[in-house]
Amino acid sequence: MTSGLSAIIVLTAATQMLGAQEVRSAAGPPSAERRAPSAERRAPSAVYIIRNATVVPVVGARIANGSVVIRAGKIEAVGANITAPQDATVIDGTGLFIYPGFIDSGTQLGLVEISSVPGPTDLEELGDFNPHDVALTAVNAHSELIPVARIAGITSAITSPNGGLVSGQAALIDLAGWTGDEMAVRARVGMVMNYPRVGGGGGRGRGGGGPPGEGDATDRQARALARYLADARAYADMRGRLGAGAANAAGAAAATGTAGTARPKTNLQMEAMIPVIRGEMPAIFDVESAAQIRGVLALADSFKLKVILRGASEAWMLADTLAARKIPVIVGPTTETPGTNDAYDAVYANPGVLARAGVAIAFRTNSASDTRNLPYNAALATAYGLDPDEALRALTINPARIWGVADRYGSLEPGKVANLFVATGDPLDVRTTVRHLFIRGELVPATDRHSKLYERFRGRPKGGK
Amino acid sequence: MSTRIGTSCALACVTLCAVAPAAAQRTTTTPPGDRPLGNTAVVATSGPLEAVVPPPARLVAITNATIMTASHGTIPKGTIIIRDGKIAAVGADVQVPAGAQIIDGAGKYVTPGIIDAHSHSASETINEGTNSVVAEVRMADVLRQDAAALYRELAGGVTTLNILHGSANTIGGQNVVAKIRWGLPADSLLFAGAPPGIKFALGENVRRTNSPPPPGGARRYPFTRMGVEETLRDAFTRAQEYRREWQAYDVARRRAAKGVQPVPPRRDLQLDALVEVLEGKRLVHCHSYRADEILMMLRVAKDFGFRVATFQHVLEGYKVADELAAAGSGASTFADSWAYKWEAWDAIPQNAALMAERGVLVTINSDSDERARRLYQEAAKAMHYGGVSEDEALKMITLNAALQLGIDKQVGSVDVGKDADLAIFNGHPFAPASRVEMTLVDGRTFFDRRTAPTLESVMEQLNTRRPRTPVVP
Repeated sequence: MTSGLSAIIVLTAATQMLGAQEVRSAAGPPSAERRAPSAERRAPSAVYIIRNATVVPVVGARIANGSVVIRAGKIEAVGANITAPQDATVIDGTGLFIYPGFIDSGTQLGLVEISSVPGPTDLEELGDFNPHDVALTAVNAHSELIPVARIAGITSAITSPNGGLVSGQAALIDLAGWTGDEMAVRARVGMVMNYPRVGGGGGRGRGGGGPPGEGDATDRQARALARYLADARAYADMRGRLGAGAANAAGAAAATGTAGTARPKTNLQMEAMIPVIRGEMPAIFDVESAAQIRGVLALADSFKLKVILRGASEAWMLADTLAARKIPVIVGPTTETPGTNDAYDAVYANPGVLARAGVAIAFRTNSASDTRNLPYNAALATAYGLDPDEALRALTINPARIWGVADRYGSLEPGKVANLFVATGDPLDVRTTVRHLFIRGELVPATDRHSKLYERFRGRPKGGK
Repeated sequence: MSTRIGTSCALACVTLCAVAPAAAQRTTTTPPGDRPLGNTAVVATSGPLEAVVPPPARLVAITNATIMTASHGTIPKGTIIIRDGKIAAVGADVQVPAGAQIIDGAGKYVTPGIIDAHSHSASETINEGTNSVVAEVRMADVLRQDAAALYRELAGGVTTLNILHGSANTIGGQNVVAKIRWGLPADSLLFAGAPPGIKFALGENVRRTNSPPPPGGARRYPFTRMGVEETLRDAFTRAQEYRREWQAYDVARRRAAKGVQPVPPRRDLQLDALVEVLEGKRLVHCHSYRADEILMMLRVAKDFGFRVATFQHVLEGYKVADELAAAGSGASTFADSWAYKWEAWDAIPQNAALMAERGVLVTINSDSDERARRLYQEAAKAMHYGGVSEDEALKMITLNAALQLGIDKQVGSVDVGKDADLAIFNGHPFAPASRVEMTLVDGRTFFDRRTAPTLESVMEQLNTRRPRTPVVP
């Protein structure tokens, strides 16, 4: 394969990565230009075959003594009887298991290094409404937390800002790359929103317990959010009527509206909300209580939003409704304490209840430093009713579907991006070790800040003084 | 003194009445015993308190289970006989006595009840934050028996807690070792015979550099790690001199002529506790992160002639593992909780394994009502990161914790003569889909998933939706 051909393949892949909404959003924020794919991106060219392993494609049956061939960043072949390509580096998978890379559907990776240190923390912009904030802008590709996150087989993650009522736009990134732009799978994958905490009863995310008048405050916030969505709808309608959906800021300033009135100025916040209000970009709602979920459903009805719920520890109360409305739920972390009045196993059992009701679930750690624990979050759910195969799907193909990349991610199938790992056993088992990990077909070294410190101090001469 | 009883239940008065006369007759210069409640050793010998704890189960047999003993390996198909709350027999060829209540252990795994070496459960509050040395305050005074966390920890196989003060203070107060006798009065949580302990803390939390002072308020000393060392040295210097005063008083009293009594020194409740540390009667559990502060604490302890029983968290313990081992100090840590502040930046998940490799007695703790629920999975992380054996990993949440707390004669392993504190799992405790089915304390069942209020049972009661697949029996 010539390097030129590789470059074309990379370009094609990169173009696919820019979904429709990313192209459209190029009209808005001035920074959109630099999201364009770079022809200088290093082309993955290595060819690998992992042989004699148990292949767990997630979509389709397990393959005993199977092989996976990786070429130019993609999975070329998966199966039992595959001849090793002549140019392939051979990895013996005897006794090992091959899985598609795991996707953490909610992290702050790249946006925070040491959470109590303000300098390297870019999580929460000031103000309640920041739809034009883009997580990818602040992703530090060289965060020490990223290699740590990979150690348990996590190859991709949603990274998102938080705070306020509309926090900003989340990105789906692969956990390797020289820049944030390189890491991006989908630079603008959804709008992170927070439904105000409502109702009483105390406990995590359930409101109540605050000072008198807090109920009024949450009501005010809920009204403010609804009003903001109404403004966004009006803005989008106006843009539609004026046929200026693709106009950039400079064009807008020069143009005039009908009837000779001055054309309204471009509002970057409102521009960012247009894909949300048109149902093209999902609204990712961080919620916990059933009351919050009901509030989100009402907003979704009023504004025809495409909703993804995240957190949602009381979603079990509305499992059938969520299933019927085909609203996916990003569950977790399961390493949370249940609410004061909840069943002791409510947090562990919630994912299983949802999955059995037919809700599409995916896991998240809601962390940056603890992302490596994603598989163990799922494991806790399997101990309390979640089918282990469904748990595996909730780490792979389910999030790939929820985030709109199932054509390229989420399973071991020919043609998909070669994000995968080779493990000594069930990756949900804490005792299992990941031996090899590939991101976009490149073998990523299994070293991180921790392994380096470990090796260094393991070598400290004995008998310290 | 009655005001010091504070939030404890009415039974404390019983204790007070029972203990006070004995205390009045004491002549020792170290006065630990005459404050009821705080000293668990007193509880062990005080008659009235024994009535608080209901009698243990008479005769129970757990049959056909895989028994992970923590002291002598795993018995694939074994039986445990519990008589009067103690383990009477354990092994592969054990006869079940007639009349025993049978717990069928087929397909189940039994481990010693998990000991959480660092807990804040059941405590009304954890920091007396006004001064940096508050050795006089006692966790036993603020225990609550109704903390939901206790039940949830039982549901995670935990039976014993080392309930410590927080880390706001250099010397934070006196701990309590508790057995989770859920549902019984607070005083029945006390672990009879457990040596008393005290919480120390070093580093960022003590300096309080992360928390701004109250409006108009001043910063509190110490504000640097240097100041923390001087705070410790000042406290123990005062304790040494206080002890000398009492020793001098004792001598004077013995030499005094008949009918003449010298005036005793003024009683100092703070220094009483520190004198117990100096005399090796009170175990020091020291919150720490960085290697430098660990070494500082070891120097101070050496200079004043006491041993630090455990370093808690001890995230950089792996950097000074040899020093810890040489000092005979244990280490109690966890795999995660890194990168959330500067002093946790060099924390590594291999910490437990590397310290153990260098000869340190290591435990895995929770420091969290949440993590406490899944310590059996946390222990397995010591296998993942650094490759300790399965037996050693289990010890890190059972026998090693008992050794660190000085309660290994009573608990920590499945051995004849020990308390029948046991966790029964539906599978291998380190396997991903395993959960606790039953938890026993003194042979009595304090948690049983079959009758527990699970989410599924709540859903059935609410009748919001019939579960399509019942999860478990």
